[in-house]
Amino acid sequence: MELRKTAWAFSLFLYCTAVFGLDTLSVYTVNYPLKYFAERIGAEHVEVSFPAPADIDPAFWLPDAETIIQYQQADLILLNGADYARWIDKVSLPRLRLVNTSRVFQEHYLTVANATTHSHGLEGEHSHVGTFFTTWLDFSQAAQQARVIADALVRARPAHRASFEKNYAALEKGLLTIDRRLQSKVEAMSERRLFASHPIYQYLARRYGLDIKSVLWEPDELPSEEQWALLGRMLSSHPAATMIWEGPPLQASIDRLRALGVESIVFEPCANACNGQDFLSVMRRNAETLN
Amino acid sequence: MIETLYVAWRYVTYNKIKTVTLVACVTLIGVLPLALQLFLNESARQLLSRAESTPLVMGAKGSSLDLAMNTLYFDDEVPELISMAAAEEITQSDLAAPIPVYARFQARGFPIVGTSFDYFDVRGLEIEQGRSLALLGECVLGATVAERLGLKPGDSLVSSPETVFDIAGIYPLKMKVVGVLQRAYTSDDLAVFVDLKSAWVIQGLGHGHEDLARAKDPSVILDRSDRNVIANAKLVQYTEITESNLDDFHFHGDPEAYPVSAVIVIPHDVKSGTILRGRYVEQDTSYQMITPKEVIDGLLANIFRIKNVLDAVIFIVGLATVLAITLVFTLSLRLRQREIHTIFKLGCSRLTMVRLLGTEILIILLTSAALCGALVVVVNYYSHDLVRVLFIR
Repeated sequence: MELRKTAWAFSLFLYCTAVFGLDTLSVYTVNYPLKYFAERIGAEHVEVSFPAPADIDPAFWLPDAETIIQYQQADLILLNGADYARWIDKVSLPRLRLVNTSRVFQEHYLTVANATTHSHGLEGEHSHVGTFFTTWLDFSQAAQQARVIADALVRARPAHRASFEKNYAALEKGLLTIDRRLQSKVEAMSERRLFASHPIYQYLARRYGLDIKSVLWEPDELPSEEQWALLGRMLSSHPAATMIWEGPPLQASIDRLRALGVESIVFEPCANACNGQDFLSVMRRNAETLN
Repeated sequence: MIETLYVAWRYVTYNKIKTVTLVACVTLIGVLPLALQLFLNESARQLLSRAESTPLVMGAKGSSLDLAMNTLYFDDEVPELISMAAAEEITQSDLAAPIPVYARFQARGFPIVGTSFDYFDVRGLEIEQGRSLALLGECVLGATVAERLGLKPGDSLVSSPETVFDIAGIYPLKMKVVGVLQRAYTSDDLAVFVDLKSAWVIQGLGHGHEDLARAKDPSVILDRSDRNVIANAKLVQYTEITESNLDDFHFHGDPEAYPVSAVIVIPHDVKSGTILRGRYVEQDTSYQMITPKEVIDGLLANIFRIKNVLDAVIFIVGLATVLAITLVFTLSLRLRQREIHTIFKLGCSRLTMVRLLGTEILIILLTSAALCGALVVVVNYYSHDLVRVLFIR
């Protein structure tokens, strides 16, 4: 009797580990959009981690050794590509488990023009500024990145192909709906010239036909007089009526911009966690703010 | 019998020089072929076990032996370098997993092996002390390296210049030891492992210096224009990567053009391996894909051919030694005529004389056999290290 009980308990344990534990794929990502995509596609078959602190820009984050060791133990490490998260060049990660999600469109990366180069020693001129990296703000590219993630998950767990494909189709539909919505919104816009508080909207501008000039303003800091003067000079050659912020700006900044005839809107890139809201919801809201 | 043994023993201990010479000759003749066989068996075992666990190696066209020896045993002879594009080509083929290896530099006489994190998984290497590689400029030591250099996690190790005349060359990199591997009884015990990118920093392809656009010391700037800043030799490049200057380290150019000495290729299955090998047979490719086992088998076949010659030489020398020993005994019988005559006069039979001489020979042979056995045990004990020092590295 005791033996039967033990055998039954052991069988139950094996079943539970197969269903809930051992089969789960450990996935680490370098930003929140990739985490969201992997969670949507992988659902219960993946455990996705993105260990960057919530108050940090993941593009310029440098994880400590303990966090890197966690990345090393993952089954898959999803990279954004396009030189995003430069810390990858400074750490040891298992190459065979890295997935560059934007590799499929790398010929279409946007690179920094007019970057200052330097030279020293016997080397030729070189620059440390490279590629624009907020690739997911072009939602057709975001869908391609999601496709690469789906393929990587299928390769790692072929048994769940049907589930991954179904989940990917739903995610792709959501992304492409936003893509079409943005296209129609921009088509309806009478003025396509915009300012951006940071140079992160290059792919958005290219995909949807916006003409964006960027400054380097922090939403939670009041710009200096020098920065206001620079904007004033920019206004003469680029008379935009809207500034896109990556986060809610200070009221004082909104008021002073309004006085210059520039309205403020927020278009969150969501590189890090979006205050508890999911990626698609924030992007839908972003799309609606464009007028 | 005891009396015979006693008299024979007294004789051999009295004639020390003659006995020692005879024992040495017999021991050498016995131990030489046995030790040689042990060495060869151990060499074959070491060479083959490593080669068998490495399915394919991709490298530049040229000596396949140099490529195999450098990739598998981190031999000093560095094959012609290839670029990381080769590893990327393998990834794109979707037929195999590539593991780049860059075994070119040294630190205090031990090879620095730049590779990807996957190498440790493929070779089954485990960390005994400390942790695995995490940041640029860190190194993990093989067990023997740590033991011989007396290093442990937290210590540092400086890379050696490629030549003593490399005065104006690359700065040596001070690497931080973060871990020591468990003993694997392979070439990995004798290597200093770094991330591939750290190896490129050692080569000077990646480096760290203050941002020239915001240089605090204007005297480091030779010329400045709107688009370019030129620094002079005063610009200090960091020789150690620390958490505070890690951000200033950077690489220039296309990473796919960076060099590696070889790529270990792990095919997904036998068919994939065969297809890949076929692709690199053509003349128009600058790469070669070798099967290390075939290369090492060829090397061993040559070694065993040489061994046959050595066996013949040892046989002839052995025969000459036996003849010489026979001559020594014959001559000693002549020298001992008076002694033998005295023994006869004492009433001993001819048989007693034969037993006495036989026992003397037996004592010499047994002593030689004991010595020979002891030497074989010693050689066997050290054969692993001796093979590594004498034959492999």
